[in-house]
Amino acid sequence: MADLTIEDTVYVTYIATTPEKVWAALTSSEFTRQYFFGRSVESDWKKGSPWTLQMPDGRIDVKGEVRESDPPRKLVVSWTVDWNEELRKLPEAVVSYEIEPIAEGVVRLTMTEAHPTPIPASLLEGGRRGWPMILSGLKSLLETGKPLAIPVPQPPKQD
Amino acid sequence: MPGNGFVYATYIRTTAEKLWDALTQPEFTRAYWYGAWHECNWEAGSPWRLMIPDGRIGDSGEVLECDRPHRLVLSWRNEFKPELKAEGYSRATFELEPAGDTVKLTVTHEMDRTDSTFIEGVSNGWPSILSSLKSLLETGKALEGTSRWPAEA
Repeated sequence: MADLTIEDTVYVTYIATTPEKVWAALTSSEFTRQYFFGRSVESDWKKGSPWTLQMPDGRIDVKGEVRESDPPRKLVVSWTVDWNEELRKLPEAVVSYEIEPIAEGVVRLTMTEAHPTPIPASLLEGGRRGWPMILSGLKSLLETGKPLAIPVPQPPKQD
Repeated sequence: MPGNGFVYATYIRTTAEKLWDALTQPEFTRAYWYGAWHECNWEAGSPWRLMIPDGRIGDSGEVLECDRPHRLVLSWRNEFKPELKAEGYSRATFELEPAGDTVKLTVTHEMDRTDSTFIEGVSNGWPSILSSLKSLLETGKALEGTSRWPAEA
C-alpha cells in the first residue's frame, strides 16, 4: 500500500461458506447482479487487466484496473466512478477484498475502500451507506441462496 | 469518529421484533455472542450486565434508552480487564429500521476519549457477533465458533 494512502472505509463480515465461493460471488456477474444493486462485473481478473461494473441498463458505473489477483484470497482493484462527471474527476480509489478462512466453514471477508488522496467527506457517504447493503446481501446470498430485497439507494445529489 | 467510536450496519432478513429479541434474550445471545448473555429487565434506568460463560461479569452499565423494537442505548464498561475498566464508560446504541424485506441494524459504540483500547477491542468483536446474529436469524444456525467464549479472552 502506498505511503500516502488513507484507509477510509472498512467493512468486515463473516460468512458460512468457502473462500472459493466468496471469490466467485465477487467476480461473477451471475452473483453480483443479485446483491450489487443489479450490477454486472466484467474482467478476466488478471493483474493489469481492466474491469468494469455495469448498471442494469448497460452504462458503466465504475471502471478500473486489476491491481492484485490471488484467487481465492485477495483481489485489489482501482476504482473510478464513471457515470458522474464530478466523481469521474476524482483521484481513483482502491478497493481491496481479503478472504480468510477463520473457522470450520467460516470465512472473513474484509473490504477496504482506500483513497490515494483525501477526498471530501460527502463523497465517501455513498460507499459508507452502500457497502453494508452490498456485503450483507452477498452474505445472505451465499448462506441462504436468496438475495436480500433492499430498496436501491438514491445516488448522491449533484449540485 | 477516528479513535473514539465504531459504527457497523448490517441488513438482516427478519422482523424488528425478532431482531430485538435476538439482541436481548439469553436463549438467542448464548448462541451467537460467544456464549454471553444479558442480565437486565430492559427498562430505562435499570442496571445492565453482560455475563460471560465462566460466571464472570463481562461488562456492566445502565439502560439509557429502551424503545422496543426501535432503539436501545446502554452505558457500557468492561469489568474483567482492569486496563479496559479503567477507561470508564462507553455508550452503545442499537438502531433497528425496516428496509425492504430486511431490518437495518446499526450499532454505534462510542467513548468520550480518543485512542481507546476498549473501542479498538469492540471494533474487532462486533463484526463477528453481528455476522453470527444475521446467520442465526436467516438460517437458524449461528456461525461456527461463536457459541463458546474464546479461550484466550
